[in-house]
Amino acid sequence: MLVLTRKVNQSIIIADGTEVVEVVVLDVRGEQVRLGIKASRNVAVHRKEIYEQIQTANEQASQTSPSDIPE
Amino acid sequence: MNSLSCSSSRFGELEFTAEDVVTVPRGLLGFPDSREYVVIEHREGSPFRWLQSTTEPALAFLVVDPATYVPDYAPDMPDDAANQLQVDNETTILVYTIVTIPAGHPEEMTLNLAGPVVINCDRQLAFQVVLQDERYPVKYKAIPAKQESAAA
Repeated sequence: MLVLTRKVNQSIIIADGTEVVEVVVLDVRGEQVRLGIKASRNVAVHRKEIYEQIQTANEQASQTSPSDIPE
Repeated sequence: MNSLSCSSSRFGELEFTAEDVVTVPRGLLGFPDSREYVVIEHREGSPFRWLQSTTEPALAFLVVDPATYVPDYAPDMPDDAANQLQVDNETTILVYTIVTIPAGHPEEMTLNLAGPVVINCDRQLAFQVVLQDERYPVKYKAIPAKQESAAA
């Protein structure tokens, strides 16, 4: 993992082809960091927890068998 | 219309037309490699449908119109999803929620209300939307546990 140190109002740029994403550190208070994300409307930004929950739910859903469907 | 076909572990050899196929450009979360699904009715008159991968025979998702179980389901679609799906005000949209049924326990059926599959019917494009809406959980229990409380 790449580790960078940033101060408030500094940012990092993540670029992939024509897609450029900027992540700005807006505020640091104790254990909470507020980030601002500038990206085109094509880019999906998610909190990791919910993203992972949906991934896990999809994996479980893909095991569903036709014989268990209620009528 | 040309007839297409694919094999599936649940339904055997499937024949369908291009109209029945949806493309999921990013795949469903956790399944980025499967980008084409055929939509099949579970049974005539059933609210359930299957999204069967046309390239992975064992990969299929049971889906249902969320209104079947949650009549007031009305999430806001995030901008990135609307953009990916190329929707405008004229587009016909279909929303499905993915269903999980633990093996042998249909009464424990859950609906993923946090990650609906939204289909742009005009372009046959689909996208799994990630909602940040606390009203809509990843595992919504579709069947209330009535019988248990009645027995108690």
